[in-house]
Amino acid sequence: MPWYSGDRGPTRLTGVIGDAVHDLQRVRRAWHWDSPRPHTWPERGVVVPTPASDLGWARQEPVRTIRYLIQHGLLLPFTEVMSHPKVEGREWVRELERPVIFAANHSSHADTSLILHALTDRARDRTVVAAAADYWFKRPMLGNLVSLFLNTFPFSRTGGAQGQLHSSSQLLKSGWNLVLFPEGSRSLDGRIQEFKPGVGHLANETGTPVVPVHIRGAHRIMPKGQKLPLPAPARVRIGKPMTPLVKEGSREFTARVEKAVRQLSEEPRQPELQGSWIERWRALKPRELTYGED
Amino acid sequence: MLFHFGEGVRLEKLPLGSRIVYPPDPLEPIAHPERAIKRALGKPLEDDPLKSLLRRGMKLTIAFDDLSLPLPPMAAPDVRQLVMEEVIDMAAEAGVEDIHLIAALGLHRRMTADEVRHIVGDRIFTTFWPDRLYQHDGEDPDANVYIGKTAQGEEVTLHKRAAESDLVVYVNLTLVPMDGGHKSMATGLATYRGIRAHHNVKTLLGSRSYMNPPDSALHHSCIRQGQLIEDTVRVFHIETTVNNHAFPAIANFMQKRETDWTAQDQAMFLGMKQFTDLAPPAFKRNVFHAMRAPYGLTAVNAGQVDAVHDKTLEAVRKQISVSVEGQTDIVTLGVPYLGPYNVNAPMNPVLVVCMGIGYLFNFYRHKPVLRKGGVLILTHPCRYEFDAVQHPSYIDYYDEVLADTTDLVEIERKYEKRFAQDPWFVQLYRKSHAYHGAHPFYAHYWAAHGIDHAGDIIIVGGEREVVHRLGFKAATTLEDAFEMAEQTVGRHPSVTHLRMPPIMLCDVE
Repeated sequence: MPWYSGDRGPTRLTGVIGDAVHDLQRVRRAWHWDSPRPHTWPERGVVVPTPASDLGWARQEPVRTIRYLIQHGLLLPFTEVMSHPKVEGREWVRELERPVIFAANHSSHADTSLILHALTDRARDRTVVAAAADYWFKRPMLGNLVSLFLNTFPFSRTGGAQGQLHSSSQLLKSGWNLVLFPEGSRSLDGRIQEFKPGVGHLANETGTPVVPVHIRGAHRIMPKGQKLPLPAPARVRIGKPMTPLVKEGSREFTARVEKAVRQLSEEPRQPELQGSWIERWRALKPRELTYGED
Repeated sequence: MLFHFGEGVRLEKLPLGSRIVYPPDPLEPIAHPERAIKRALGKPLEDDPLKSLLRRGMKLTIAFDDLSLPLPPMAAPDVRQLVMEEVIDMAAEAGVEDIHLIAALGLHRRMTADEVRHIVGDRIFTTFWPDRLYQHDGEDPDANVYIGKTAQGEEVTLHKRAAESDLVVYVNLTLVPMDGGHKSMATGLATYRGIRAHHNVKTLLGSRSYMNPPDSALHHSCIRQGQLIEDTVRVFHIETTVNNHAFPAIANFMQKRETDWTAQDQAMFLGMKQFTDLAPPAFKRNVFHAMRAPYGLTAVNAGQVDAVHDKTLEAVRKQISVSVEGQTDIVTLGVPYLGPYNVNAPMNPVLVVCMGIGYLFNFYRHKPVLRKGGVLILTHPCRYEFDAVQHPSYIDYYDEVLADTTDLVEIERKYEKRFAQDPWFVQLYRKSHAYHGAHPFYAHYWAAHGIDHAGDIIIVGGEREVVHRLGFKAATTLEDAFEMAEQTVGRHPSVTHLRMPPIMLCDVE
């Protein structure tokens, strides 16, 4: 076949390139690079929502070891320097035989560090912190960073939270302690707000004891709206673990927990909440080592 | 020959024929202290088992000695912690709700929270501090009560909580024969009003020596006060004794005779000598005060005070008694960095006197190693150095009182009351960590018998001005000191070196 037949050689090559350019032009014209999405169209992601991440990576090795180093090298010394926290009732969380929910009042971002500071190494290593999904996890980078530091997981506080409660109960069932701030958001003036019933619901559903915690002084360290912490003394008072009574509803149990946290804020020691000396003495009994234990 | 020299050591040559007295080797400690404690509480001496004395609804007070004992502080766990844990376990089992723990400080300084934690351990500290575990305050008018007078007219006061308790359990650690017995309650939980009855020049001059209670006027007075206390409140006494393993591995050479030093001991000595010669005093102090002694429990006895204390003294003597033949013209002593009143603080000049002439000189039975009128030679840097927090009244004592006179009788008459009642010293004693205003007087009085007995006292290596202020002679070297001593004891005197610490009790024939 002669070279000028049009089927081979430079002519064919020119044809192929021409076709490709044409295709590209068509696609470019069809793509709405910067035009707004028509408002009549449904919101993306609402119809088929992407499942929320529970940040499982943050509870696995080697992240746990990295977090241990970060906490012992930065977070805990910083907390100690800033507020020299006085901890009462550490005996109740020294030797936890089963997971618990720490229900604390919330007036500052410093609350989480103070609670983690008050826990023993063993308890801290097995503790996750419920962080507001709509606040901390709005920006994935920030959410992941906070998770690395504090072992947080996203916790929805906007209703329809069955899925979130489910993931929380899964964490409890798999042996993790959970730090919850049942008020939902930070108090503006340091006073304790009404508790939301989620904590009671979780405790009832999973049969997990709730440890009431009262934090005093965090409001002065970093009140709502302040960007940087200021040094101020703080006290963390940990009460005896509470379990729901038989046939006690979630709301009733939540009210009891709220009352306990409020009582812990009162000045003299609260023996009925913090335990008599005999109870605390027994709680502090050293574990008897058995063969095969670490 | 090794001489302790404050926060340092010296190597000295003694004249040919000098006698050196070494402390005995440490006794083998009890292998299972917890079992021994349980046994002692279960089968007390001349008293009912502790368990049977505890009942629901009672008021129980546990009192314990402060950090002036043992020296150096014991490596954790302190034996008092082990005893108290056992007592508290029994109280918990019996359902005793009302329980208080009081550190029996007497007129000593308040301890820091960490110091209390070191004595009682984490478990007790976490459970009871600060509501039910606290320190005696001898100047709190609401926390102390006057009990009465002994037949000899000695006033007796007691901590109110102890006086109102159904049972007081006293947990003591007896390191030297002076401690323990009735003295524990009569001084540890008393006020200035009660303590001055025996902490005075007259009583201490009549105590030959106060390291041997039967010959000690101080102890006779304490016994009389203690008997009155026993009439007021039910006391269950627990006393523990430890061996004299006073130095950790790093300073193990101090525990041995120089002739027994291994190459490693020699290297350690040389290392420490160079370090202490070159390092600044504050740095050396931090290193020395961080040392913890690996004492081992040698006996634990519980029950009635006198019965228990007899057994305790027996155990202490078994550990520290050394037989010494006859007295001597010159006694040399190295004063170490630590005494009962300067834990975590420098040893100020008044405390050097207390330690060297008060305590170390008095470690004898029957008669002193030094003959009457002989020369006592001490080695200590004796600097003008005070801890303003712990020893504020010592500063004024040195600057004001000793500038006026060193006559102890005159000092007592003229100054003691004023210092004891000084509102600022009272405030510091109650709220800070200061020794009581009267404490420097007592520290000096301890030396009354030694000063009276010795013909001359020479301090080697001390700051000349300071030594003169204390009323003694200063020498640069030990050779100079011997030269000076010749004027008092003549040529060719007999010399004895008492190589303490570890402590020993010279049983002088």
